[in-house]
Amino acid sequence: MCQAVLEHYRLLPLLPRFNIRLGFGEKCVEEVCRLNHVTTEFFMEISNAYLDDDYIPQTDLSLFPLGDLVGYLTSTHHYYLEVAIPKIERKIHQLLDGSALSEKERGLVSGFFDDYRKEFLEHVSREDKLVLPYILELEKEYMKEKPDAEFMKRLQVYTIRDFAREHDRLETSLENLSRLIIKYLPPFEDFDLCHQVLTDLSDLVRDLIDHAHMEDKVLVPRVAEIEQHLLRKSEAG
Amino acid sequence: MKRVNFILCIEAYLLCKGVAAVLQRIPGASVVREFGTVDMLTHYLKNHAVDFLLICDTLFEKATDLFIEDPGLLERTILLKINPVRPEGAGKFKEIIYLTDGKQEITFKIKELLNPYFRNHREEPQSTLTEREKTIVRLVSMGLTNKQIADKLFLSTHTIITHRKNIIHKLGIKSVSGLTVYAIVNNIITIDEVT
Repeated sequence: MCQAVLEHYRLLPLLPRFNIRLGFGEKCVEEVCRLNHVTTEFFMEISNAYLDDDYIPQTDLSLFPLGDLVGYLTSTHHYYLEVAIPKIERKIHQLLDGSALSEKERGLVSGFFDDYRKEFLEHVSREDKLVLPYILELEKEYMKEKPDAEFMKRLQVYTIRDFAREHDRLETSLENLSRLIIKYLPPFEDFDLCHQVLTDLSDLVRDLIDHAHMEDKVLVPRVAEIEQHLLRKSEAG
Repeated sequence: MKRVNFILCIEAYLLCKGVAAVLQRIPGASVVREFGTVDMLTHYLKNHAVDFLLICDTLFEKATDLFIEDPGLLERTILLKINPVRPEGAGKFKEIIYLTDGKQEITFKIKELLNPYFRNHREEPQSTLTEREKTIVRLVSMGLTNKQIADKLFLSTHTIITHRKNIIHKLGIKSVSGLTVYAIVNNIITIDEVT
């Protein structure tokens, strides 16, 4: 496990989302997963999709329960809202406080980030309140001998593919903010802090792209597969 | 920028490294994996999508199963011809590169392969605003309301709202502050003009 993290540094932010802590000792990936109650296949699938842009999940996606996926997504959202975004916001305010920027420029940057946080929150709550419960319900119906008629009716109208279509991109705005700082704002005195802000922004952008990629390549196909099963089952029955 | 992915399957190590180095220098091309055996290639292709496979003639002969399994693969395959005598079945490969090819020939061949990808890419409607939309983004950044913009451009408020919806759709940016920053970094407005 240590080897995997050292070789793929981008795995680091993933670990807390699985509740995995450092201090692996000589344990391999499988042991670490088992000790932390994480399905190994699931961990591998997520890590691969996260690290490799061209990765297509193995055909047998039914190895792990959807509850794992939902849990992972929830803790990722939590990480963005509680850790990544507040961290950047704090640093931006610190940067602005010590800068020689005009009132207008200051307002532009802080107003921008404020709105961004609100939009982000809106986006994530939509997923947490609508999409994730839907996935859990879907799995429950799938396990039943006879799925609920009301649920099946809804499934014929709205599927995970519709959700994927409505999915906004959250990283574009952040890239614009970096450009604004690099190109158009007067230079900041505290270059080191400015560097940290830009690095944090670029890390978050990268993370969001990977996250979206994971949703498109792992979550959506897996959920769509179950939807198809259910629909076929109900047609046959 | 979009990258077009190549995987290499070449037995001779020096040759493989050389081909990879040449490809990496061509803008838009990216070598994602290099293999020296067909086994490893087969395994990789099971789980990965690639744009192009570049394979040397000696290994191609050993990889027939792969091409039977996925008939579409041949259309994405570039043959690296090491043995000049054996016939290569011209026409069935996407492209053939010869050991005797010069820098210009190779670069030309690869760029021809990349062209369709980037042509499509440029045509994507995303992120390119029309002149009218740019004007609206500019006025929004200056703090004007939809009503004020409508009056200024002699349009109905309804039309402005439609334009704004299209802008949100194209850029994925909803808030006024987000649009303002977009307008600055895309030279639609200067910081001084922003209210």
